[in-house]
Amino acid sequence: MARLTIEDVSVKFGGVHALRSVSFAVETGAIVGLIGPNGAGKSTLLNCISGITRPTTGRTLLDGAVLSALPPARVARKGIGRVFQHPELAPDLTARENLLIACHNTMTYGLVGEFLMLPGARRQENAAENKVSSLLMRLGLSAIEGRRVRDLPYGHRKLIDLGRALLMEIRFLLLDEPIAGLNDEEIAKLGDLILALRREVRLGVIIVEHNMAFVSRLCDRLIALDLGEAIAEGAPAEVLGHPKVQAAYLGEAPNA
Amino acid sequence: MNVRLGACAVVTLALAVAAPYLLNAYGVYLVTLTGIFALVALGLNFLVGYAGQISLCHAAFFGVGAYATALLTEKAGVPYVLSLLVAGLFTTIVSTLVAVPALRLRSLYLAIATLGFGVVLQKIIFEWRSLTGGGGGMQLAPPSVAGHPLTATGLYELTVALLAIGLYGAHNLSRGRTGRALRIIKESETAAGALGISAARYKIAAFAISAFYAAVAGGLFAYLVGYINPESFNVGLSISFLSMVVIGGLGAIGGSIVGAIFYVLVPELLRGFNNDAPGLVFGALLVAVMVFMPRGLWGMGLRLTRRA
Repeated sequence: MARLTIEDVSVKFGGVHALRSVSFAVETGAIVGLIGPNGAGKSTLLNCISGITRPTTGRTLLDGAVLSALPPARVARKGIGRVFQHPELAPDLTARENLLIACHNTMTYGLVGEFLMLPGARRQENAAENKVSSLLMRLGLSAIEGRRVRDLPYGHRKLIDLGRALLMEIRFLLLDEPIAGLNDEEIAKLGDLILALRREVRLGVIIVEHNMAFVSRLCDRLIALDLGEAIAEGAPAEVLGHPKVQAAYLGEAPNA
Repeated sequence: MNVRLGACAVVTLALAVAAPYLLNAYGVYLVTLTGIFALVALGLNFLVGYAGQISLCHAAFFGVGAYATALLTEKAGVPYVLSLLVAGLFTTIVSTLVAVPALRLRSLYLAIATLGFGVVLQKIIFEWRSLTGGGGGMQLAPPSVAGHPLTATGLYELTVALLAIGLYGAHNLSRGRTGRALRIIKESETAAGALGISAARYKIAAFAISAFYAAVAGGLFAYLVGYINPESFNVGLSISFLSMVVIGGLGAIGGSIVGAIFYVLVPELLRGFNNDAPGLVFGALLVAVMVFMPRGLWGMGLRLTRRA
């Protein structure tokens, strides 16, 4: 079992406190929801974990090893996947090619091997192609694998983005508003997929989401942030009923 | 589709083999020059088209390759073809020294920095008189390949062979992990980072690949013209290389070839029609291509054939 620890993390942008000494830990196999009104610091917290934002004080650790000093690519290679709110794909490449990008670190061949497409490089490419094929099947995207991503609907693009993270053999997945812009059917499918991944590979997940029905369905635990501070933590029903959380959402009631 | 592609390949091969027998000496020179420039453009396309970076120092890499090849062949007695490879690797190392600091910069700032590097490299060649002959340049005798002095036809054939290898390599690189990594870096460095791909590392790789192509092409160029001096490898040539890639079509391997053909042959053809102002007409053509074909000649060609 692996453990992702957020230890007393604060972030200051100029004079503004985006996060104030937030601490919690997530184990593999757990699904944790981060909730809070806009500007509460949820995305900043995910950015701290993925190495995009350096904490002003405090640190993040994976199994006791410090993550917060590493650049984003190194954090990702440690097994921490990140899916952004808006999928950032290569629009002129096909769905399949976009997924192949995520197999980057499962391949080891160098420039010369690639230039000449030596047998070793070809073998690794074929292995990656097979992995992508089975993922496409699982995501129900096999039929559109050859289409350019710019021609695909938003829901498909979000699935491809998630698929990329899954191809990286990650232990933790950070999801930033994964269901924004999806229809009910897609939302249900995505929820099933996340639960299945937890079951199969004991993936640890941190979800930032505004849809309370979705987080209540998936998460074992919720952490509520307001103005950069953790104001409540616990089981979903408990946190959503917490008076501070209710107050933070006043005028912006959590949609049940 | 594959039949058509095969037919194209056969026709191209036949033309390539027959060319030296169909053309006069000047024609062979022009076709060889086109091949050399195509090689530069193929490499530069990785940096500009795939990685979205800009460089104004590739004429200098072309020059370093030319001088390194000439020095290895003439002064160290290394076989010509081996010199080309060694010069290519040497220039690749030089280019990474340029790339590491240049990586901190973007767009216009990067352009100006690479412009500076180009001038510095050119100046080093100029001032290192004991090695390079300085401003007087180097006069080069045809190198011997397999015991015979290399003829114009031989150089043409070597260029075609290297271009073929370069095309094969570029095809593989563009579809392999490097090409994919560069495309996502161009789209979003944040997304690349989240996928465990280091943008810095791959931008350096793109610099290195493009410098290798430029250097090998430079080594061919040295013996095509038989005389090199530092003045030849100036910023104007760097801009020409950049234009070839853009005119042909960014991010398309075929575009680099088409861009080089356009750049070498169109001014020649224009000279036949109008001896006074080939530059003027050529310039106007460049503007027209950019205005009406934003994806370059290659992109335009693809659109037309798809519609057909």
